[in-house]
Order: sequence, then C-alpha cells, then structure tokens
Amino acid sequence: MLKFAGKRVGMMIISLFIIILITFIMMHAVPGGPFTRERELPEKVEKALNEKYKLDDSLPEQFFDYIKGLVRFDLGPSFKYQGITVNDFIENGFPISAKLGGVTLVFILLSAIPLGIWSALKNGRWQDGAIMLIATLGVTIPSFIVATLLLYLFSYQLNIFPTYGLESWQSYVLPVLALGGYSMAFIARLMRSSLLEVMGQDYIRTARSKGLSETQVVVKHGLRNALIPVITILGPTVANLLTGSFVIEKIFAIPGMGVYFVDSVGQRDYTAIMGITVFYATFLLVMTFIVDLFYLMIDPRIKLD
Amino acid sequence: MIEDYKITAADWEPLDFDTEDAEKIVAKNRTFLGDVVFRFSRKTSALIGIALIVLLCIFAFVGPYFSPYSFDTQSLEFANLPPRMKAAEVNGNYYYLSPNLKVIALSDDGVVKSTLTKQSEDGINKRMVFVDEDQEITVDYQTIPAVILSAENESQIARTKNIWNSKYLLGTDGLGRDMLTRLMFGTRISMIVAFIATFVNMTIGMIYGGISAYAGGMTDIIMMRIVDIISTIPLTLYVILIMVLMEDGFLSIIVALSSVYWVSMARVVRGQITVLKNSEFVLAARTIGSNSTTILFRHLLPNAMGPILVTATMLVPSAIFMEAFLGFIGLGISPPMASLGTMANDALQGLRTAPYQLFLPAAVICLIMFAFNFVGDGLRDALDPKMKK
Repeated sequence: MLKFAGKRVGMMIISLFIIILITFIMMHAVPGGPFTRERELPEKVEKALNEKYKLDDSLPEQFFDYIKGLVRFDLGPSFKYQGITVNDFIENGFPISAKLGGVTLVFILLSAIPLGIWSALKNGRWQDGAIMLIATLGVTIPSFIVATLLLYLFSYQLNIFPTYGLESWQSYVLPVLALGGYSMAFIARLMRSSLLEVMGQDYIRTARSKGLSETQVVVKHGLRNALIPVITILGPTVANLLTGSFVIEKIFAIPGMGVYFVDSVGQRDYTAIMGITVFYATFLLVMTFIVDLFYLMIDPRIKLD
Repeated sequence: MIEDYKITAADWEPLDFDTEDAEKIVAKNRTFLGDVVFRFSRKTSALIGIALIVLLCIFAFVGPYFSPYSFDTQSLEFANLPPRMKAAEVNGNYYYLSPNLKVIALSDDGVVKSTLTKQSEDGINKRMVFVDEDQEITVDYQTIPAVILSAENESQIARTKNIWNSKYLLGTDGLGRDMLTRLMFGTRISMIVAFIATFVNMTIGMIYGGISAYAGGMTDIIMMRIVDIISTIPLTLYVILIMVLMEDGFLSIIVALSSVYWVSMARVVRGQITVLKNSEFVLAARTIGSNSTTILFRHLLPNAMGPILVTATMLVPSAIFMEAFLGFIGLGISPPMASLGTMANDALQGLRTAPYQLFLPAAVICLIMFAFNFVGDGLRDALDPKMKK
C-alpha cells in the first residue's frame, strides 16, 4: 500500500512537472510580451516593467523562478489587473466553485446510484427503459445546452428558480442539474450494467441458495462488487465537473473560478491562465490519487501494481 | 390424412446416407463484411443514425447552394425576427411588433417588407405612432408585451394572427442574418472540424499505438508511460491553452482538437496489436521476409480496424462537442463565419426575447451527437458481438 502510494506520488510529481513545463512553454510561445499593446508604451516604462517581472531573464531562469514561486504557493501577479495576484483569483473563485462542485457530486452520487440499481433490478421493464432513455439523452446532450434550456424554461418562462448567483438553495437547483447531468446519466448507466453483470455471477446464486433475502443478496453481495467501476469513474467525474463549470458558471453568472478562467482566456491574461491551469491540474491529480487509494482499499483483489 | 396413411415395410428401410450431402453448406457463404452489414442493418437505432448523418450532410453541404443568403448577409432592419410572428391586422395589412418596439410590415403570406419609421411618440400615454404609406399604426406600450391598436377604435387592440416567416424561414439573428443559412454553414464547419480532427487523431493514434505495441519491450513501456502522463492532463484545459496560443480560426481549432484526442486511440490500437502480433499470420508474413513496416501496416493494423473504427466514430461526437464548447466560451471560429457553438453563444444575450436563436443550433448539435452515438453503438455491436453490453 505504502509502496503503491509512494510510486503514485512520484508519478504525480512527474506529471505535474510536465504539465507546468508545457503550460509555461506555451504561454511564453505567444507572440509578443504581456505588455505589448496596441498603444506603444514608452521604452523606459516597458523596460521597467520587464525588469520588475524579470522578463529579461533567460527562459530557464524564468521557469526556475516560477517553480520557486509555485512551491511557496505563489502564482504571481495578474498581467491585466493591477495589484491583483493570481492567488486572489483562486482564493475568491475556488471556494464558490468547490461548493457548487461538491453539492453536485453529492447529488450525482445520491441520485445516479439508486437510479442505476433500480434500473438494473427492473431490467427489461418500462422503468428500466425510461431511466435508460433519459440517461442516454443525458450523456449525449452537451451541458451548456442543458443549462441554457433549463434557464429558459424554469427561470424565464416559469419563474421558479433565480437566474443567477448562489444565494439561496433554489439557486443551486439549475446549476447542479446542468453541471451534474452528464455524470449522473453516465454513472447511472455504468451502475446498471455493472450490477447486471454482477447479478449473473455464481456467487449471487450461492447467496440466494443459502436462503438470504433478496435485499441482502443485492446489497451485501451484488452492490459491493458492482460499485467498484463506479468508484473508478469518480476521478474523471471530478475532472468533468471542474471543466464543465466553465460554461455553467458563465451561464448562471456564478462568480467561481471557471468564470475567472474563461475571462482570463478572453483577455489573454497569461499569468492568470497559467496559474489557474496549474492549479486545476494539481487539484485533479490529487483527486484522482485519492480516488485510486480509496479504490485500493475497498477492493482487495486489485494488485498493488 | 394421417388415418389413411398405411405404414409399409418400405418405410423402415434406411435412407441413402450420403456424407458429401451432409457436409454441404446450403446457405450462401457470408463474408465478414456481409456479416457486419447484416448485424448493423438489424439495429434500428443505427440505421436512424446513418439516415440522420446523411440528411445532416445534405443540409450542411448542399443546402447553402439553395439559399438566397450567405452566412454574412445581414440586413439590420430585420434583426431578431422569429420564425413565427404574431402579426396584427390593421385595415387588411399585417404588422409585426418586435419586442424592442419596432414595427415591421408584412404581406399576408409572411414576407417581411419593411421597417416602419416612427412619426411621433407620446411619452405620457406611452403611445407611438408609425407611418406606413398612407396609414398610421399606433402602438401602446403601457402593457407588457406592447400591443398594436386597431385603426377604427383607439381603445381596442388590433386582431392578431400567427404567420410563418416566409422570407427568413427560421428567423434571423441579432444582426439580421438568416438563421437557416447560418445553421447550414455552422453544421458544415462543425462536421468538417469533427471529421478532420477524428481522422488526424486516428492516424496519430494508430501509428503511435502500433509502433508501441509492435516494438514491445522498453520502447512500449516508455511510450505508454508518456500516454499515461498525457491522459492525466485535463484535455479541455489544453485545448483551451492551444486555442489561446494561436489566432482564432478554423486551423487552430483543428490543430487543438487533433493534438489531444489521440491518446485513447493509441491505447485501443496498442491493446489490439499486442494480442494480434503473436498470431500465426504475422509469423507467416515474417517467414516470407516481410519487413516490420509491411507487417504493421499491411497485416496488423487492417486486422485491428474494427475497434479502431468504433473508437473513431465515438470520437466524432466528442470533437463536435469540443468545438461547440470552445465556440460557446468565445474561442471558436472567428466571426462572421458561423459554427454551432458560436451561434449558441451569440444567442445567449437575447435568450429572453429570441430563444429560438439558441434552440435551433442546440437542436442541431443534439441531432449530430445522437446520430454519431447511434452509429457508433451499432458499429460496435456489429463488428464485435462479444463486446455487447
């Protein structure tokens, strides 16, 4: 276990380093410096700015400086907003995004798993058909379309839910549905097929024949095994929620990190783009790592590879 | 009749048993391709998917030739016209009152003629008067939505009737461009982007995965480690970064989409080739002196084509989605060219008054996604019945 964790942490650090390197190279490959504007700056000012941000150093030196900053959790200043650091963006945006993402994740798990189980137990009947039809729709329709349609229908036409912000519980309903829709549908389908497969196994027959009640068979023998694929998909699900939040936050005007990211992309705020990308990537790698550890713990059959 | 039948001794004689006949295959011999086509054509959803794709291609590639407009033909006076207009009748003429209080004259079969000029406005009673040739149209905007008053009686609302817009069949967007034409061009761009991106990803993935599996050993380990590391990177972020790096436009989208999705393809190909490379036909090829390139490209990859095609079909909807996603966050095709994502993005501001501008591209995106998913599912089942869910 420890050996596995150590190896994974090593891999993670290598991945992270490569991600930072690629991001750094890409952001420095952009033609023109961050202070190249339509209006020429006086040469002295530009020189002073370049000196302040150490843009005259060689690239490896700059990269080394950036890494040094990262180790101290310092992502540097924003190039577009004076006096604001990239850390400020993350400090302001991340709690909001994390709250929305967390609520969505809980909602996904609480709805998709029971739906998948129900669908599998009613295999072939109309309940199964209905759930799977909705799930197929959920997997194919892009989240930003779901979001805008929900917004139009429930906020503009029916006036049930607020159109923006995250002030009350009602304002969570639409963003959570739009953000979680895809993952919900995906996990429900996965849960169904995995439970169906498990229920066909010999040990289920054994459990039935020794006289266990159907609930015991499903919960103790079926579900525990069927949940394993669902847990492996949790890592990608978190990634999905994060990137999905770019558009959902924009549509529902939620001041989360996704909005900051999309805004910095639109304004070509290179340090902010770089910082937020590195932050996202780190967060994702850590989440996947945790999910993998968890996965190892619940399934002793997995080889410690 | 059973009762009439008399059993004779001859019935108990053994039949002539011909071994040749027993081994004969009566039914027609079906090739692998024939088998695939047969299984594929038995799936209704897959056939619907194919039909949808054909229709969408005709819509996108042939449609623009029949349209009187181009994607950038704009007439600002007819901006934001819906496909179905609520027209008020005043003295036998029809007028459409837009949500931003412009009055547009219509013919009775729904051809928009002109935007009327405002003659006067009474701010106290909240009335506006417009002129059309020799008659006056009075608009009362005390109520929401505003109404056109009838000519005879100032206190009465004119009779209304819903007319289909026959000049702009699916309405116009915020700049007065024909939605139908823009949809055609948007679908075309999205499809071209998706096809090229898929093709490039398929090629890179096949070569990368093929070499990795065929070479084996240390090469395989290193190449797959690289793939492992790349797959930990959130792809959406990288597509966005590549788009930021390059100028907006068609080429950058293709480069961005082509450079990230090959990882899954490489894994699929590697898995297939690793199994196949130990088969007898590879040994046979090697015995007759074929070199590695021939074995890999002429013998191994064609045999792994099934799963490769399925993965490629599934890549198309993700590429369409990604292109729409990029357009939606403002990184797509540069205007005035239309893509489905940028159309959806443009519609967002006017969602309250002109929702059809969002619904139309959204519907087309969904149709494409459905079609390719159906075909992908069908292909998967047809190519490998064992892989069935």
